[in-house]
Amino acid sequence: MSELQQIFDTVNIGLVVMDRQLRVTQWNRWMYQHSGIAAEAIVGSSIFDHFPQLNTPGFQKNCKAVLAFGNFSFFSQKLHRYLFPFKPVGSFGAKFEQMQQSCTMGPLRGDDNAINAIFIVVQDVTELATYEQKMTEMSIKDGLTGIFNRRHFESRLAAECERHQRYGRELSLLMIDIDFFKAINDGYGHQCGDHVLKSVSAALASGIRTSDNLARYGGEEFCCLLPETGLTSAAALAELLRKRVEGATLSHESDEIKVTISLGVSELAADDTPHRLLKRADEALYRAKKAGRNRVELQEGVNPQVPEFESAPA
Amino acid sequence: MTQEKLITEEETDILQEIMNIAFGKAAADLAEIINIFVQLSVPMIALVKAVDLPDYLKHEMKSGQRISIIEQNFWGEFKGSAFLVFQSGAGKELISLLGSDLDSSFEAESVEVLERETLMEVGNILIGACVGKVAELLQDVVTYSPPRVIVENNPNDAIPQSLFDPSYTAIVLKTLFCFNERDVNGLLFLVTSQESIGWLKQALSAFMEQYE
Repeated sequence: MSELQQIFDTVNIGLVVMDRQLRVTQWNRWMYQHSGIAAEAIVGSSIFDHFPQLNTPGFQKNCKAVLAFGNFSFFSQKLHRYLFPFKPVGSFGAKFEQMQQSCTMGPLRGDDNAINAIFIVVQDVTELATYEQKMTEMSIKDGLTGIFNRRHFESRLAAECERHQRYGRELSLLMIDIDFFKAINDGYGHQCGDHVLKSVSAALASGIRTSDNLARYGGEEFCCLLPETGLTSAAALAELLRKRVEGATLSHESDEIKVTISLGVSELAADDTPHRLLKRADEALYRAKKAGRNRVELQEGVNPQVPEFESAPA
Repeated sequence: MTQEKLITEEETDILQEIMNIAFGKAAADLAEIINIFVQLSVPMIALVKAVDLPDYLKHEMKSGQRISIIEQNFWGEFKGSAFLVFQSGAGKELISLLGSDLDSSFEAESVEVLERETLMEVGNILIGACVGKVAELLQDVVTYSPPRVIVENNPNDAIPQSLFDPSYTAIVLKTLFCFNERDVNGLLFLVTSQESIGWLKQALSAFMEQYE
């Protein structure tokens, strides 16, 4: 066996060579290990006989680009996940059902420079993808409550404001605060306070759509971004969330605790900024607190319950 | 060495002609073989020092416009770097260009990630087709590095100088491209390395000999 052949079979990446008709001519041991298909069984037959799922317009396109232009094609894990459906090796099964792969495809030329064959290199990047997923989650979620954190919320707020203004769509914002949270902390202890934060987060999260963005904004303060939602609907949702929290009994150890929330609601205007949208919700929340808590207040200058009548021209 | 001596006027003309033929063939092949319809303008050749490229870019684009740049290196006798300059948001427009294999398993990824990956893939196709054809006409074979996003949604006046290898006293080949039926256009720059200029001059003269 030649030295190169030994490397070909022992290297820790998948290597496949196909002729111009996409019939397999070389299949290394790594490919055998992960597919269970021995080289003898696949060499000579079309790659699509064994992997019909590869027979897509996109894959064909890449093969053609390699054979026609001598192009290289790169199949990133982020965009493609994998080319060959293999089981992940190790304990990543929970996160990924398939081995995550980063693949490269390129031409193999003969002595006359003509492209005779096409090669595919398959790299297992499952471990990396798992870490990346964990890191991403940690960077956008609040550790205690599991809802989004403030940083992620602020980046979504800016993006959604831009998108909704561009398309002239409705966007509303809720600012939510747990009433008398300090008293709970002082009276029952911080562990109980944490329990209340988690329970209220869960109650809020179960009352919104998946497209809504609920985040822990500060200590006992939450924000919820409501895409495609006007002030009236947002106010109705706010009232629903208020009732939901009011109706729940949170038990912690032997204590039964009742909490309430106050909410401020604002809606994106035509020439608004994320900062002003947030400020109006915050001001409304402040008024809800002033007016006795456990209530919803809307941004100033708008009352959607009362239809506006324009004075008829004289 | 002054720029005038780097490459003669005649050589510039030949190179421009080769680019023109190459890009025409690249566009035809892209349409015929993989159904990507792209228009490439008649290329312009400029001699720009690599360190001056950021300023050159600033001059070429509308001031303050946000851009993304994909870089891909190519190796052969013809050696250098290709840069594709897209306007911000181009990735979104191009996602559908890649065919139908991209299914709904992308909820986990942000739109930004998808955009950047799409730009890299489209960049790879475009650069591969164009550079490959130029190399072919000059009797060369090139291989490529994976594409990289080197600038992402930056204003064009904030492009760092360090992006471009200063040893690449560059022959810049600029072409405008646009994808049919999609509101996407941009600039393609091929920056050839100093090392390959000697070879390029020979290859250009060999190319002309075919017609003499």
